[in-house]
Amino acid sequence: MSDDISWYESFWTYLEFAWQDVLDLGVDHAVVVIISVLIATVTGVALGVLTYRTERPRELVLAVTGTFLTIPSLALFTLLIQLPLLGLGAKSVVVALVMYGLLPIVRNTIVGLREVDSAIVESAQGMGMGRAARLWRIEMPLAWPVVLTGIRVATLLLIGIAAIGAYINGPGLGELIFGASVGSAVALNEVLAGTLGVIVLAILFDFVYVVVTRLTTSKGIR
Amino acid sequence: MAAPSDATKAARLASGAALAAGSRGRRSLANYLFMPVLLVLVLVFTYVSVSRRDLDSTESKRLAFDFILARTQEHLELTVLSTVLVLIIAIPFGILLTRSFARPITPFAIAFFNIGQAVPTIGLLLIFAIVWSIGFVPTVVALAAYTTLPVLRNTMVGLTQVDASVIESARGMGMTKLAVLTRIELPLAVPVIMAGLRTALTINVGTATLGAFIGAGTLGSLIVSGYSSNRPFITIVGGILVAVLALLIDYLAGIAEDALRPRGL
Amino acid sequence: MTDTQDAVAPDSGTAPDGGKVEIRLENLAKRFPGQDDPAVDDLTMEIPKGEIVILVGPSGCGKTTTMKMINRIIEPTSGRIFLDGEDVTDVNPDQLRRRIGYVIQQIGLFPHVSIANNIATVPKLLGWKKERISERVDELLEMVGMDPGQYRNRYPKELSGGQRQRVGVARAMSADPDVMLMDEPFGAIDPITRDRLQNEFLRLQEQIKKTIIFVTHDIDEAIKMGDRIAILREQSHIAQFDTPERILVNPADDFVADFIGRGASLKRLSLSRVRDVELHQWPTVEQGASHDEVNRLLEGSDKSAVLVLDSERRPVKWVNADHLRRAGDGRPLSELGLPAEAVVQPNATLSDTLNEMLSARYSTAIVVDSSNAYQGIVDIDTINETVRSLRRAEQGRLRGGDDEDEDR
Repeated sequence: MSDDISWYESFWTYLEFAWQDVLDLGVDHAVVVIISVLIATVTGVALGVLTYRTERPRELVLAVTGTFLTIPSLALFTLLIQLPLLGLGAKSVVVALVMYGLLPIVRNTIVGLREVDSAIVESAQGMGMGRAARLWRIEMPLAWPVVLTGIRVATLLLIGIAAIGAYINGPGLGELIFGASVGSAVALNEVLAGTLGVIVLAILFDFVYVVVTRLTTSKGIR
Repeated sequence: MAAPSDATKAARLASGAALAAGSRGRRSLANYLFMPVLLVLVLVFTYVSVSRRDLDSTESKRLAFDFILARTQEHLELTVLSTVLVLIIAIPFGILLTRSFARPITPFAIAFFNIGQAVPTIGLLLIFAIVWSIGFVPTVVALAAYTTLPVLRNTMVGLTQVDASVIESARGMGMTKLAVLTRIELPLAVPVIMAGLRTALTINVGTATLGAFIGAGTLGSLIVSGYSSNRPFITIVGGILVAVLALLIDYLAGIAEDALRPRGL
Repeated sequence: MTDTQDAVAPDSGTAPDGGKVEIRLENLAKRFPGQDDPAVDDLTMEIPKGEIVILVGPSGCGKTTTMKMINRIIEPTSGRIFLDGEDVTDVNPDQLRRRIGYVIQQIGLFPHVSIANNIATVPKLLGWKKERISERVDELLEMVGMDPGQYRNRYPKELSGGQRQRVGVARAMSADPDVMLMDEPFGAIDPITRDRLQNEFLRLQEQIKKTIIFVTHDIDEAIKMGDRIAILREQSHIAQFDTPERILVNPADDFVADFIGRGASLKRLSLSRVRDVELHQWPTVEQGASHDEVNRLLEGSDKSAVLVLDSERRPVKWVNADHLRRAGDGRPLSELGLPAEAVVQPNATLSDTLNEMLSARYSTAIVVDSSNAYQGIVDIDTINETVRSLRRAEQGRLRGGDDEDEDR
């Protein structure tokens, strides 16, 4: 790096020839996160729905998913690749990301469902709505903003953690960060591109969630 | 108006729609013991596995007791120092950003900190390493910079949640703004600050692992060196030790949180 | 004596011989797990068709549990429930509940669903056609005095407490159930609105004639709303099951007397309605009348003011001699004096009327008919006379009651 070029000029020049790669990696990153969030949402909402009314299973699910989130990502990634069927690459990354995404989703599903006014549920029951109808037509729509917030938090969390997945050959912007050879001229540019790319992705996702929240929440509870 | 009768409550319980009192109270003894017992069992299992295995020279060097102890010490020092730094920055700023003059920007600040969760720690660490230097001090600063955002955010949310009517009645009794802050808002926000401490410790103990990439040692260096020297056994032991340490710190912070929570909240 | 002849046999918990029984509870009991005493212990009672039966009692007496066993929100531990002769103790509870209207104190409107869809809940569950549902929703909104065009597409948060309560009632009646269960339905509403809603509901019930089980802890509400009242003591033991009149006049025991409380004479005013008493008259003029006419009227009367009516005989103003003097000639009467407040309809109870009167001018309540045209006035003398006659009747009945006991 020559002293007469400031770092942002250098970074700009780097982007001019590497933007296509950065974009591709950004798409890979987004895809891994979306797949993981989808699996975590289906699993997490199901766990929440199954346990929110019974204290012991509820505490157990929260404790286990909380433990997942506490395990440092480098440790979890490198332990998962030792397992048969997983190994190096995207599969281990997705499994780890799903494990990390569960707690915010399960917790918010449980909190959201438990916060639904019991009088509303009772009046639904009193009108002859069965258990399933009550859950899907009354409780879930009312808990939805809280559940969606959980999914949103999980998504932001996973976007950041997914970068570390590149260490075990996972796809995404982390490749730029781990691929940078410290000391080389382009190292800072690569790390900056990876880091800022992740942040831009996070902002884009967050914006999408604002729109989704708006579109999927009933006017009556906004 | 009419409070719901006991019969109504019993009825709600029976119909399953009841919101049973949250189990936020003290945990049972079995609950307290489960995690440490589990962690001890994992450590014993790991120790037995290591001692019964024929280690090659690289493995015996990395898995020597003294070597692991030194890495653990580095890991803890990083964690504790960066956590102290986080609290020194986040709590005063959290208080400042929730004062009445800052209220208009509070929601924007919180949204900004939310996005901050997605900042990749590894990128932040490497940027610090490249523009500053590798080693212990840049790692502490990078960890603190990363963890400050969520803790600051939680502190602000906690302080803004203190009931406005409580504050108003305190002001109405003639308490000064400073007195309201120190006697009402901060005590009511203690749980939030404790939660912030726990969050900071848990995030830092995890992120400190990544210090291995920029020459700060830590238990993460077992994972990294095992991986780069193609010795999966070292990586596995390193991974297990990192996970045990993180769960232990989180467990202890959880107990501290329970013990220091003011009664009546 | 005569009006008690056709009333029910007291205490036994059975309906009048002639009346059709809609709901029969047989040895109903509920024991919650982990509680030593049953919440409801061996309750047997019959609820006659088309009547409002009130379950009233102190907090924790099991009245709500009893009611919730009828639509099996709470499953009884033992005993049978009969609906119109059919044993419904073991039928599918969801099917059963679609036949029973249900209103609870918190109303429990679905906040994420429009008013129309709230009301349409049960018809949808029953698989009605779209047009039929939409017609029914409009009909019900009109029935509870809300303009369908204005409210159909609103959400519950956009309504006042009183409007939500009305929608709650409309929703409970959506599939035209024969039976309605109401758990303190007016409990969470401010006293003034509550009075109005209670009166509206009584008027509605005159048309729809549902069989209603109504739970309250408020004896005044029970007396006002009930065709029949079951006073419950702990574990839903019936202390007395009878018409309001007979309970007030002839409490079965100290528990009931205590529960009714002091001021029983005043409570009895809740039983008499304006249409039952003789109205007095007050000097009135059309609003187009001249000031001279009014002055002449005042001179020839012992009252200090005249009541000004509009062209459709609706009360507008009170005007006295002072008002006329200060106003000078030429100003129309409708611009003078004080507004005519304390207006009641013939179905108002004397207790409500007394309340109105106490805050009104000239200690007078103006009585109007359903088109708001002036009928007469009720004054404090009328109320006093009514209390006196009720008390005389009570003493007579007490003697009569003793005789009955000896007969057994």
